[in-house]
Amino acid sequence: MSILEIKNLKVGPKNGNILNAVSFSLDKGDSLAVIGPNGAGKTTLFRAILGAVPYSGEIIKDKNIRIGYVPQKVDLERDLPITVGEFLSLRTHAVAAKNWDGDHSYAGALKSVGLGKEFLNTKIGELSSGELQRSLIAWAVVGHPDLLMFDEPTASVDIAGQETVYELLHKLQDEHGLTLMLISHDLSVIYKYANKVLCLNKAQTCFGPPSEVLSSAELEKLYGGGGKLYHHMHQNGN
Amino acid sequence: METNFLYTLFAASAIAAAGGMIGSFALLRRMALVGDALSHIALPGIALGIIFNFNPFLGAFVFLALGTLIIWAVEHRTKLPVETLVGVVFTLALAVGALLSTEEELLEVLFGDISKIGISDVFIAASVSFLIISLLLLFYKKFALTLMSPDLSLSVGYKPHFLELLFLTIFALGVAAGIKFTGVLLMGSIIIIPAATARNIAWSMKSYIWLSAVLGVLGAVAGIFAAKILGLAPGPLFVIVAGFFFFVSVLFRRN
Repeated sequence: MSILEIKNLKVGPKNGNILNAVSFSLDKGDSLAVIGPNGAGKTTLFRAILGAVPYSGEIIKDKNIRIGYVPQKVDLERDLPITVGEFLSLRTHAVAAKNWDGDHSYAGALKSVGLGKEFLNTKIGELSSGELQRSLIAWAVVGHPDLLMFDEPTASVDIAGQETVYELLHKLQDEHGLTLMLISHDLSVIYKYANKVLCLNKAQTCFGPPSEVLSSAELEKLYGGGGKLYHHMHQNGN
Repeated sequence: METNFLYTLFAASAIAAAGGMIGSFALLRRMALVGDALSHIALPGIALGIIFNFNPFLGAFVFLALGTLIIWAVEHRTKLPVETLVGVVFTLALAVGALLSTEEELLEVLFGDISKIGISDVFIAASVSFLIISLLLLFYKKFALTLMSPDLSLSVGYKPHFLELLFLTIFALGVAAGIKFTGVLLMGSIIIIPAATARNIAWSMKSYIWLSAVLGVLGAVAGIFAAKILGLAPGPLFVIVAGFFFFVSVLFRRN
């Protein structure tokens, strides 16, 4: 069953000069990696799905879909006088849902992202970048999302923390049947965690399972042979 | 104590509490100078009120509401930074206001005179302040999130664009209510300084918002008593007291 369908999406003042002719659909439980060079419109695609930018074309969302969004650059000021607990309470707490049962407390949301309940009283500004990212995932978890959109999960996390954020997302996906959309530059992550990949360079240049669409010719077309993707496959031994 | 003094004390405290609270929200989005400049937009409205003999509060509010509406609409259409727009609109308003006012009126409008208020002014100030505080507390979650991160606000189904307009309107209301007492130039300080002070020492969002209001009231009361004792204008003394609090708070700044 399709949870999100996008038909001929265009964004930009000059008829699609930011994003042009994007069409794809996602089923429940899919994991989509969105790849493309800087300025390719990846974040714009997310913002269009959220309804934050005007667009033409169609974005058909499943009725009653709950979207969780974790932005790339958190536009939160780092010295805001707000605790993690207060931050989580700013959004409406979603009621129990079929795919989200168990602990609905804020402490429970923090626990599901690997943070202890002492973080409820920690100010946002006192968090490390990894803890902030986890708090933002907890923020999404509080809303019991069906679709989790993650703009460059590891952009602000050190190498040691990287694997665990993906594992965390993967675990949440397994437990709650989430559909995931993530922007990533890391091919090993894409092969390991995504079952679909969307190549963007203002226009859509590929869509499908990574093993089928990610040929070296496709990547060269997308990135101009600059090799901006990081291939870490050897580390995973596969 | 004379009644007029009590009026002054009461009205100024109400306005300082509301102003401090507005400021605590405004500073979530580095809107400090926007607030300062915004208050100048009231000038032509006040001048018209004086010329045509209607309550300057009304004139101030109409001009402020119009000004914020223009800024809000143009910002949305053009994505120009709000500072730029406020900068243009406020100097325009200042120029028009200066042409409409005589020199003597201008001085009063710029610096205010809280000792000249009547019971109706006190009533307006108190009820508008009460309305502002209620609205801010009622929509606390939506305003706080929208001002901190419009994208997150949108992602949870709030309407950040509409909420921004609502917040700017509340802002305008606060400025209009306070301007009679503090004048155009000092109104910004009522909004900015207590909130900036609170931000230095707050340990949570809740403490931040309440501290902003309480520090505003403390500054107003101290300023008015100092003015009474020294025989000086209360407005500037409020700013000096509040500014003193701010620099003390810097010493206790967390993080």
